[in-house]
This record gives sequence, structure tokens and C-alpha cells, in this order.
Amino acid sequence: MNCEKLSNPSMDKKKKLKQTGNKVKEEASMDKKNNQRSKSILEILPLELIHRILLRVPIRHLARLRCVSKLWCSLISDPDFAELHFHHSPAATNAYFIMKNETIADLIYLDGNDALQKEVCPPFKKKPPSKFLVVGSCRGFILFHRDPYFLVVWNPLTGSSKRISYSHIVHHSKRHGYRIPYGVHLHGFGYDSSQDDYLLLVAWRDCEGQSRLDCFSLRTNSWINLDAAVPKLVGFDYYHFCGLFFNGAFHWVPYHFNDSSDAIVIFDLKEMTFSTISAPKQLLCSYPSLALLGGCLALSTPSDDCLNTDAIKFTINIFEQPDVAKG
Amino acid sequence: MGSPLKKIMLCSSEKEIFSVEEQVMVQHSVIINNMIEDGSYNYEESKIPLDCVDSKTLKKVIDYCTYHTHHHNDNQEDLEAWDAQFLNVDSNGLYDLLMAANYLEIRNLLDLIYRTIKNMIKGKKIDEIRRILNIKDHGFTPEEEEQNRKEYPHFY
Repeated sequence: MNCEKLSNPSMDKKKKLKQTGNKVKEEASMDKKNNQRSKSILEILPLELIHRILLRVPIRHLARLRCVSKLWCSLISDPDFAELHFHHSPAATNAYFIMKNETIADLIYLDGNDALQKEVCPPFKKKPPSKFLVVGSCRGFILFHRDPYFLVVWNPLTGSSKRISYSHIVHHSKRHGYRIPYGVHLHGFGYDSSQDDYLLLVAWRDCEGQSRLDCFSLRTNSWINLDAAVPKLVGFDYYHFCGLFFNGAFHWVPYHFNDSSDAIVIFDLKEMTFSTISAPKQLLCSYPSLALLGGCLALSTPSDDCLNTDAIKFTINIFEQPDVAKG
Repeated sequence: MGSPLKKIMLCSSEKEIFSVEEQVMVQHSVIINNMIEDGSYNYEESKIPLDCVDSKTLKKVIDYCTYHTHHHNDNQEDLEAWDAQFLNVDSNGLYDLLMAANYLEIRNLLDLIYRTIKNMIKGKKIDEIRRILNIKDHGFTPEEEEQNRKEYPHFY
């Protein structure tokens, strides 16, 4: 959507009056209009008050309201607005994002007892690439991985997106003669409130088998290499892993819990250190996934018979205290 | 907190004087509360000039504050019904009230009006929102408007 900086509407009016040269006539007609008191909200209310009304509108209606007027568009598109809006209603909206197929996703909002489903298209301009994955989400933004070496941050409500190349990582993790990078990539997408910055994290292995950790800051728009010892990744035998950002730390769960040495890997953003926690003994299984449940970290695992039935059953195991996970 | 019997004078943009129980305004308006507390209001001589609030709007504001002072123990449903009836005004009346509530810092009235306007536009089509809010000059160039309509036909 096109939305440049606005000129003052009253200035525009003055300009028009000059241009037409019919100043008197125009003013007279405007007076008449005022007498009828058919004023528009934009003429009457100061920006500040319109801003405050818009802050109260649930986030799922905002994309539409950007089309109401150019002024509203610029108010809503302002990065500060997003920040304020988030703080205004942090708990009001829960959204779930589900890819339906390669071109359409469902956004599902739960506000109290009210659920709303909305179809959205991922931000791939022409035709969707053959291979892309959702590798993270943070504060309403979604992170895609797109082959061969792109990360795409997407705001599903406004449709805006940013593509970030991590070719330097892929380049260094390729072995000679191989097209596919070596080893697994752990992806993380989190928010650093102390710097008001969104961070993309990639833990990877270079072509010599050395584990490395790189971080992209959306604020500085640059990659930096972090000097943190990446633990041995056991059970992570798939290519991309989606991290769950929670309590200031990224959490990754392996593809399989084959034995108790397989562990959930945690990277604490503040301490800049990795740690691990072992899986509970009763949970030796495949395809576990992490979720947040009532402010706690929860591990869900599909039941054994899930492959035979349409309804997938999950066993959910809640870690009692988030802090235990951090220890 | 002032004594419930004391009256204060408010003066509208038309220079009409309204005499109101002090307590009613002190409870609701941050600005008036501050004036009374810091002693800048003189009961013998002062009138609080509200140059940007016309008589019709000021009367409504006073009605609101008076009702909510005397009925704050009513059940929530009754209060909401009264509020809905109270805000059953045209959009200009609503904007005037909003400006006045903002000027006098009457927080519960402000919240009520914000909510009302929000509900007027929530989930509506763009053309309808523009009609409701009387937005004629949306500020988009014809090309931008056409582009938006093409891109988001379901919004209109």
C-alpha cells in the first residue's frame, strides 16, 4: 500500500483555494457546509484523539482501517503505533497461524469466546516457492525459511514483509560438491525488549563440523556472529528447526527423544549462553513439539495410534515452572 | 474532596454559566480536581472558562458526571443502558463530547466514547465507515484508491 508522509490537510485546502482563484465563493460554500454541521471526523478531531481510538481497535480490523483514509493509513503504519497497540492489548488477542497449502494460510484469532478465521497469503510475490517453511513466530510476526538461503519476516495483518539473506551461512556450511548445507540449522525469532529489537538466530555447523551461532538484528539490519558454545545436538537430524521464544530464551526440541541424553536445547538471550534440559523419561518418542500453555512450557507428543486415525491425540506434559527450564 | 454542598461555576464558549455541585466535577474531571486541590479556584469570584466547549455539550457533560456520581452504586447493566442512551447523539455531537471530555480529562467518559466510536467502525466495510464518520476527502489519489480497491476488494 502506498502511504507516504502526509501533508497537512488544511494546507492542501489553502492551496486549492489559491489555485482556483475563487476564494470567496469557496469559503462561502465551506461556511454553508459548516452551518449544516456535516463535518467529517478528520476535520474535527485532533490526530491525537483519532490515534487513541485506533489504538483500541482490535488488531484484526486494522488492516482494513488503513484503507479508510490516507491519514489513518499513516497513523496505523507507523512503527510506534504497532508498539503502542501491542502494549495496549497484549493479552487481548491470541492468534494462531496454520498453513493450509502452499499459497494460503489461516489466521485464527481468539478474543475471549469470539473466534475469527481469516485467510491470508504468505508474502511470496509471484508464485510461491517450492520450498518454504514456517520456522518461528514472535509477537504477531511470522518467520519463514525459504530455499535456498532466505529468511522472511512477515506481518500477516498488514501483509508487509522483509527478506533477509543468510547466504554467508549457507555458503560456509556447504561441503565441496554438495548443494545442500551441512548439518542442521536451528532457527530462532525473538524480541529483545531492552533494545526494542527483533532478533533472528541461526545455530549452524560449518563445513568443518564446527558449531556456530549467528544473529540478525532487525534494528541494525545486520548479522553478527555470537561467541557462544553450541551444545552437541543429539536427535536433531532434520534440516530446519523452529525455536519457541519464551521467557527471554529460545527453545528447540529434537526430532526424536530416543534416549534420555536427547535434550531440549535452550539459548538465553540475556546471558547469551546455551543450556539443555533432558526429556522426562516417560516421553521417549518421536515428533515432540513445544508449546506455551498457561505461561508454562509444555511438551506435546503425538500418541502412538495417531497415524491410524484422523484425530491426532497428544500427550501434553507441562514443565511445572518456566524457571526450571532455564536452570 | 470538596464538600457536597459547594457549587462551582463553569462557563461555556457562549459565556453561559453553569453551576454544578463541586463534588460531581471533582470526582470526574482531573483538571477541575487539580484546580480545586491546588486552591486556584476562588469560590467567591472564579468561573472556570471552557472556551472550546459549547453550552449544549457542556450540559451533556455535566449530566453525565452528575448521573454517574449519584448512581455509581447501580448495577452495571443499568449504567450501561443509561450510557448507551446518553450517547445516542449524531456523530458531531459525539465528537464535541469527545473533545470536551478530553479537555476536562473525564476518563470514564473518554473511554466510553472511544469504545463507542470503535464499535461504530469495527468490522464495517470501508465505504460504510467513511459514510458513518462522514469522511469525504480520504486523501488517497484516485490511483491509490483504485489500487487499494483492486488489492483488497473485500474491504469495500
